[in-house]
Amino acid sequence: MVDTTVRKRTFAPWMGLLLTVLGALSNGLPFTGFPAASVPWISLLLSLIGFVVLLFGLWQAFGQSTVYKGKLSSALATGFSLLFLAGAIVFFWSARHIPRESAAAPQVGQRVPDFTLPDSTGHSVSLTQLFSGSASKEPPKALLLVFYRGYW
Amino acid sequence: MPVAISVDAVEVSENLRHKRGYSFPFLSDPKAEVIRRYDLLHPRGGPDGTDISRPAEFLIDRSGTVRWENFTEDIRVRPRADALLAAARSIR
Repeated sequence: MVDTTVRKRTFAPWMGLLLTVLGALSNGLPFTGFPAASVPWISLLLSLIGFVVLLFGLWQAFGQSTVYKGKLSSALATGFSLLFLAGAIVFFWSARHIPRESAAAPQVGQRVPDFTLPDSTGHSVSLTQLFSGSASKEPPKALLLVFYRGYW
Repeated sequence: MPVAISVDAVEVSENLRHKRGYSFPFLSDPKAEVIRRYDLLHPRGGPDGTDISRPAEFLIDRSGTVRWENFTEDIRVRPRADALLAAARSIR
């Protein structure tokens, strides 16, 4: 028997792909100065919702194939979204894969150990010297020691 | 005054400082000696498995006492400027 009904398109796979791509891209928001501590979670949530939407699309295309068409396009969308989802998860994991404990680090109210290190012109400076200022600069009231990962 | 500290070599730090137009000092701790002393080492956290510092900030007053500090658990999450400024204003 020939199927004469017109099968509907499903946009769910493409919606799912869009959401997972947005989820992956939102990882970059903090680097643009976007002040959100929850960005990593937003990213992961977007990606996961995208994937659920995508699964729905797959179910439509394959499970309800008499009603919906789009087997090939939904399979393609799934492939791409899996890549982006995997990327988002790997990035989420690696960005948080840093030491949790710095038990021996100076705590609020404690004194920090003094140190001497070369500055970017190669001159050795100590913490004490940094506090003493220079001929052109007034001694600072406070210092903000910013330890960063480097390799920028 | 901010003071930036990383394992980057002197020239790398100077390059970054110049590129971003920062006037505050950048200190180099290539062997992570001070980073270790502050218990901030992130073993093999850098490219090619090099030891680097975990991101951390300490606001210290003239006596060397920590008045505010921040340890991030996600490299994308930066400290909130308002919390830092509030702590900085309390230092006279």
